[in-house]
Amino acid sequence: MSTRSTTGHDPAAQSGSSPSTSAAEERLHDLSDVPSFPAVYAAALDPRSRRSPKGEPVLPRLAYRVRKVRIDAERARDFDHLMGGPATDLVHPGVLHVLAFPISLSLMARRDFPFPLLGLVHLRNQVLQHRPVRVGELVDVECRVRDLQPHRKGRTFEAVATILSEDGEIIATDVSTYLVRGPGSTAEDGGSRRREFEPPRPTGRWALPADTGRRYGTVSGDVNPIHLSALSAKAFGFPRAIAHGMYTASRAFTESRIDLSRPLRWDVSFDAPVTLPGTVLVAYEDDPDSGAVRCVGWRPGRGEKGPRRCFEVEVTVLDR
Amino acid sequence: MNDSPRDALILGGNRIPFARSGGPYAGISNQDLLTASLDGLVARYGLQGEKLGEIAGGAVLKLARDLNLTRESALSTPLDPRTPAIDMSKACATGLETVVHISNRIRLQQIDSGIAAGVDSASDSPIEVTPALRRILHRAFAAKTPMQRLKALSAIRPADLAPVPPRNGEPRTGLSMGEHMALTAAEWGITRQAQDELALASHQKLAAAYDDGFFDDLVTGYRGLARDQNLRPDSTLEKLGGLKPVFGVKSPQVTEPSMTAGNSTPLSDGASSVLLGSAEWAQQHGLTPLARVVDARTAAVDFAHGAEGLLMAPAYAVPELLDANGLELQDLDLYEIHEAFASTVLAHLAAWESEEFCRDRLGRDRALGQIDRSRLNVAGSSLAAGHPFAATGGRLVATLAKLLHQRAQETGEVQRGLISVCAAAGQGTVALLESV
Repeated sequence: MSTRSTTGHDPAAQSGSSPSTSAAEERLHDLSDVPSFPAVYAAALDPRSRRSPKGEPVLPRLAYRVRKVRIDAERARDFDHLMGGPATDLVHPGVLHVLAFPISLSLMARRDFPFPLLGLVHLRNQVLQHRPVRVGELVDVECRVRDLQPHRKGRTFEAVATILSEDGEIIATDVSTYLVRGPGSTAEDGGSRRREFEPPRPTGRWALPADTGRRYGTVSGDVNPIHLSALSAKAFGFPRAIAHGMYTASRAFTESRIDLSRPLRWDVSFDAPVTLPGTVLVAYEDDPDSGAVRCVGWRPGRGEKGPRRCFEVEVTVLDR
Repeated sequence: MNDSPRDALILGGNRIPFARSGGPYAGISNQDLLTASLDGLVARYGLQGEKLGEIAGGAVLKLARDLNLTRESALSTPLDPRTPAIDMSKACATGLETVVHISNRIRLQQIDSGIAAGVDSASDSPIEVTPALRRILHRAFAAKTPMQRLKALSAIRPADLAPVPPRNGEPRTGLSMGEHMALTAAEWGITRQAQDELALASHQKLAAAYDDGFFDDLVTGYRGLARDQNLRPDSTLEKLGGLKPVFGVKSPQVTEPSMTAGNSTPLSDGASSVLLGSAEWAQQHGLTPLARVVDARTAAVDFAHGAEGLLMAPAYAVPELLDANGLELQDLDLYEIHEAFASTVLAHLAAWESEEFCRDRLGRDRALGQIDRSRLNVAGSSLAAGHPFAATGGRLVATLAKLLHQRAQETGEVQRGLISVCAAAGQGTVALLESV
């Protein structure tokens, strides 16, 4: 284990790793390996990890790093197949997300992290990929948390994963925005209020069986109990199991048929959860001018209940 | 005679390295392999967003769900999603037939460009249920009441539950392809020594071609494989001679079985694709044509009652193709004869050298004669590369087109090449290419 001080850089920067000065020094903590999900969740469930923050919560100025992580070809293949796509040598960015996710989680499971891990709501995910990653490639993964903001339902922060090549070049950044429910802020936070939803004409229907969460759990390693079964979801206050947000987002990415050899941007926003088993209607829209492919997924209305938007995905090729 | 309105030109090709069954492509589907091959072709020739006239592809071992295998694969590539596709099937001749199909369409001006492709995965071959179980299940699905359904299902016997792997052999004779070939080899007196020499040459020539960089613009690595897995550059006649015969050992008419795992093709996984277009289309896209598809013929033999060997149909199709184009066998500069087995190639050469065969079977005045063996399969063939059934045609066509183009540049003369592919059920497809 080694620790070095570093000045933080903006992981969402378009290129390079030019440092910018920041108020507090960030510590970089090297982990020997990618942590396992069950261990992280077990730690999160440990009653000793319950926090009772006094005063204003502060995000730890700390980055976790794992070096030389191999992109496993079989895992990438299983991921591609689960998303309904062919097993390509160029890696689906969703594979990079699940690779980094346990590292981010273990950072958020630390006792000095101000919020309980279970109960965080994934609001948005933004991936910027500068170059394709091949199966079998070795990458370094850095994870940090940043940008605590007020939100009308509590607070939001970002978990940022940076995928770097062995020589330090940034290959991709993956920014997940989480909501911590709590006393809301009255401050205007633009755009987060529930928007009116007029469903477009659907172009497809996803019939998601009850084992959708277990199957994604198998390939992603994310065995969060709220996704696995109705029973385990109930234990955490959900009436039914809900699909992993990144499952729906990754599936939408695959069907966007984007050229994986190009630099790309993959933006996702989540609204209502997708309950399992369940049906999601999707509508794709290709924008020939910008090269963007957009997908919106929603739960069809039933009886009194109107349709609820579940996710919006936009994939854009950047080097047109 | 080639008096078609215009030429169909071979503009390039791309395949993934061929793997042995159960090797690095285990767990990978036909659609994965075909998509990888098409992706590489699209990248090499800058076809992103391009709407092509048609993609023809196919697989021999095909899952029922893959009915639109080629179209589904194409939809996962950066090609324009409005590119039509067709699935074709003719056992080991599938790949060459897709080339003939696309070239015919181009020559008839129905399309300006297209891709001919083929794929097979012996590692992921379909395993079906028994016919008895299938019928019982269909009855149960059709039942209107739970009682009827239960009654239908109660007919299932334990033996009905055994999985059914793909049949390895001819349904009419019960003999495997290798066993059939062993009969033909014995009939023609093809020696073990000659077969092992041909197999060794295949490995040496394929290895040399890789070392020369010949495949740098024909092959794209996949799943960590950069060269064909079956290739043994350091094989020797001693090693090959030490292998035990596997085919013909149960046939009384084969006195000295000679076909081994070394001089027969292994079960393989892989995919190939060939880009074709008209001269105008090639020019518009800045692509250099390598060769044109001049003509093609097919033939079939009655192997079922033993009148002819199962894999000998190309021996009949080739003379027809030569006659139609006013050529002698020796007018060809290069020969690509698919090495299903070393003995297949040798039996064809022996047949064309035989006055008796050419007179009695082909109805000709004299034998077609010998070929210059130094012009045969000059960059190696299926014995070394492996033989993912439907992918072999695309490998042969792209290889020969590039060879013809290179030789034409070196010699300044038009180069002609022959492709001959045998197939199950006593069929064969052959084609004539010419440098441009």
